[in-house]
Amino acid sequence: MLKSKAMKHVRLLVLGEDLPQASLTLAETESFHPDPRAPEEQRLAPLVDSRYQNEYQQARTRLDKIAQVIPVPEPDLTEIRVVHLDELAEVNAWLGRAWEFCLEHQEGFRELDENARRLEEQQAALANFAELNVDLGALRADKRFLDLHIGVVPRENVTRLEGALGLAGHLLLKYMEREGNAHVVIVGPRDDGQSELKSLLSSAGFTAIPLPQGLDDAPETIQADQRRESDRIERERADLHEEVETCAKDMHDKLVRASTVLALAEPFVSLDPAIRGAGYLASIDGWVPAEALPDLERRLDASLQNPFSLESRKPRDDERPLVPTVPVRNRLLQPFAMLVKQYGIPRYGEIDPTLLFTITFLLMFGTMFGDVGHGAVLGLLAWLFRKKLGRFYIFGVLAGLSSMFFGVLFGSVFGYKELLPAVWMSPLYNPILMLQLALGWGVLFLSLACVLTIYNRLAIREPMAAVFGPHGVVNLIFYLGLVWGAVSLAMTGAFGTIPAGLVIAALAGLAAYNWGHMHAPIGEKILVVVIETLETVLGYLSNTLSFLRVAAFSINHVALMIAVLTLAGMMGTVGSVFMIIFGNIFVMVLEAVIVTIQVMRLQYFEGFSRYFSADGREFTPLRLRRKPRAA
Amino acid sequence: MSSAAKHAYLNTRVAAKATQLIGLQNVRQLSQMTLPELGQHFGLADVLEEPGSVRSKSRAVEQGLIQVLLADLAVLVRPMSPEERGLVLAWARKYALFNLKTLLRGKIRQLDPQEIRENLYDLPPQVRLSNEDLFRTESVAELLRCLEDGPLSLLARQAREIYEQRQEAFALEAAIDQRYYSEIARRVTRLGDAKADRQMRALVGSLVDRANILWLLRFRFAYGLAPSETFYQLVPSPNLMYRQRLLDLVSLEDQAKVIAALPEPLRTLLADADNLMESQRRLSQYCYGIARDVLRHGHSGVARALAYLILREIDLQFTFTLIQSRLLNLPATYLDLALGLSPAICAHHWHDAA
Repeated sequence: MLKSKAMKHVRLLVLGEDLPQASLTLAETESFHPDPRAPEEQRLAPLVDSRYQNEYQQARTRLDKIAQVIPVPEPDLTEIRVVHLDELAEVNAWLGRAWEFCLEHQEGFRELDENARRLEEQQAALANFAELNVDLGALRADKRFLDLHIGVVPRENVTRLEGALGLAGHLLLKYMEREGNAHVVIVGPRDDGQSELKSLLSSAGFTAIPLPQGLDDAPETIQADQRRESDRIERERADLHEEVETCAKDMHDKLVRASTVLALAEPFVSLDPAIRGAGYLASIDGWVPAEALPDLERRLDASLQNPFSLESRKPRDDERPLVPTVPVRNRLLQPFAMLVKQYGIPRYGEIDPTLLFTITFLLMFGTMFGDVGHGAVLGLLAWLFRKKLGRFYIFGVLAGLSSMFFGVLFGSVFGYKELLPAVWMSPLYNPILMLQLALGWGVLFLSLACVLTIYNRLAIREPMAAVFGPHGVVNLIFYLGLVWGAVSLAMTGAFGTIPAGLVIAALAGLAAYNWGHMHAPIGEKILVVVIETLETVLGYLSNTLSFLRVAAFSINHVALMIAVLTLAGMMGTVGSVFMIIFGNIFVMVLEAVIVTIQVMRLQYFEGFSRYFSADGREFTPLRLRRKPRAA
Repeated sequence: MSSAAKHAYLNTRVAAKATQLIGLQNVRQLSQMTLPELGQHFGLADVLEEPGSVRSKSRAVEQGLIQVLLADLAVLVRPMSPEERGLVLAWARKYALFNLKTLLRGKIRQLDPQEIRENLYDLPPQVRLSNEDLFRTESVAELLRCLEDGPLSLLARQAREIYEQRQEAFALEAAIDQRYYSEIARRVTRLGDAKADRQMRALVGSLVDRANILWLLRFRFAYGLAPSETFYQLVPSPNLMYRQRLLDLVSLEDQAKVIAALPEPLRTLLADADNLMESQRRLSQYCYGIARDVLRHGHSGVARALAYLILREIDLQFTFTLIQSRLLNLPATYLDLALGLSPAICAHHWHDAA
């Protein structure tokens, strides 16, 4: 659980004709992480023929775009088979036609939207004209000497268009603005050629608003005409929807086929960067968990027609940064693993901090938010919203349970002390003890972080860094010496000779190591070594004090609830009930958020920043796409 | 961070970075270097030593140089306020628009997607468009539709309407360029800092003025567009070529009258320029002059930062031209013409010049 799975580097040598089948088998096992590094052997070169990849990419793009218009069914992967180039090209060509169809319908919808928008603009324009004493019929009629255009233009083009029209001998009058458009009337002397004006209006994005026939009719008649037009647009839209749905049904089987073919072709395409060839031979390099290797070999043996070779070896030291780390798969730890992943992936060989993170997170969260009632509400809410929260609901349930556990220890139910006798004590009864315990917890946490740092450095074969590096053995000796001395000072009034000796020796060792590793003028060396040594002392002191917040928040929780209950006691019955309900909601929301942030801060900055390099690579094995992309 | 502290920090960063500018005077010296020496000098030796065609090397060098510029940009915009950052990023967004034009041209000419991809710049998220979505489109109309869903929606809608009506790339690209300069000119007017505003007006104004004069001469006299159509393509500048001046200039009937009616120092600058290339060269030098002036004597950190970026871009263009000329084994005369070290001549006279 703490250590990542052992990995092996494998090289699979197959005949070129077996490559697609080998890719499929590797994808089926879900245990092969491709290694795209160029091989040291000069004879192995990347594959030259990229037709398969190109066909796949185009087809995949088309299918994804189609999925935005009509639902694309899941691939049917009951039969795992090799997809040849001809079949892929045929599916791609069909997808091209299907996309053209979708595009045509998308354009149809857009045209309807445009007509609806134009109708709206027309209604707005007529409503505006209705307030003026203007003969609209005269505006519509053809003039002998006057050229008249009524329409809309994007607002930001109005000033430029006005200037340009002035040069063309026309006037622009803006009479209304709606959303991003300006409604304008353009008037000028009639010119039958009009190419200059047309070009100008087109460049400015001018859209004419057609004035309807019979403008001298009653307003009700015109409005009825516009309603009919609006109904017609909606009918056409419904028809188009129906047409798309019918076509989608007709295309269903072909879409299943296309989706299946692409899912089966994908492993070969994904593997492409890791494939190298020499003549008829092809080589695929990758990483496989050691425990999965026998199964992989057995499956390859069963599926490949021609002989093959599967060589495996342990990762070399220089390859360690490249080896992928298999993530934690435990269901309970999944949400915590997601939080760890936010910080980074453990490097291969390092301790996976997920389990430790989970335990320490729950301990600190419970301590800072210890209340049976609040914990129960938190856990219950997480459970009720489990569908929306996905796997993250476990995080809420466990955090709630932790709160309940500490609530039992502190004897607190929604802030009431009387309902449940404390198994231990309320944090407010002895704040000094709580602060001392928090400091003790901090010392334990930081010491553990140093031990993990030392282990991780040794695991990646960096012994000098394990001893002298930040948070290494010497740092730990210094820290424990400092803690010993501080405890001794508090209890006996004297720091003690042995702790003082340990602290001084450790600091001297660190200073000497830093001195030896620095290449700078002597003055700069002195300055840097002094500052770095001082930083070590201050760093450990402040980091330990940082854990006081664990006690502070547990006391804060009790104090806040006392305030709520005191305020409730000062009110009448109704006011008291409201105060208790809303006070509890306020405390729960406020503290749940703040405590989570504080615990995450302690984990990330006091813990992870010490022992977790977080620059590893996640194990992402080749696999078949079982589900379609979201529509 | 207070305004003074912010400017002090930015000014210090700009001053430190400005020491690496090459400048026109050193270009001659660099133009004497061989290709390996240039590679060594600009840290591009690895790229140049890689096996590959001249074209692929040239692309790699260009991409590498753009990354250098964008890395500087990323450092300099960090301490700026949102408005200032918006302006400087709007200036840099020209590279995204280059990509957009490449995509449009590629789609119009129905080029192979791989060929189009090879000609796209790899840009950081701050300045790039959603290239991948745009790249996945299969026609110009689809590409413009896709663009309508992004930050360039208005431009895309107009561009699509223009393209549907005229089916030509010119109108599209003119709309894109016009929108680019309008955007930077608009952002200058929104700067709150009066000092930054004045220097920025001069700096950005010089860029907009240059574009306006070249477009005016080209559209009006080379393409024969009407005054109204020409005016519509221009961008009122926050500096010399403001709206009323543009209205007056587009109405003039020939190039000589336009140049005579230009404000100083543009009139003297272009007085005896006998072709558009030479006008372009002189106007570019005028812009660099203003950028150098703002960098040396300016007080506003943001104006100096933009001036530095403009000059750095020129330097990198010089570098690219030098390396390109070595890769293609061009004669020194061509190199001088390309670098703008000698007066520009019409393309059909280049052979005689060589």
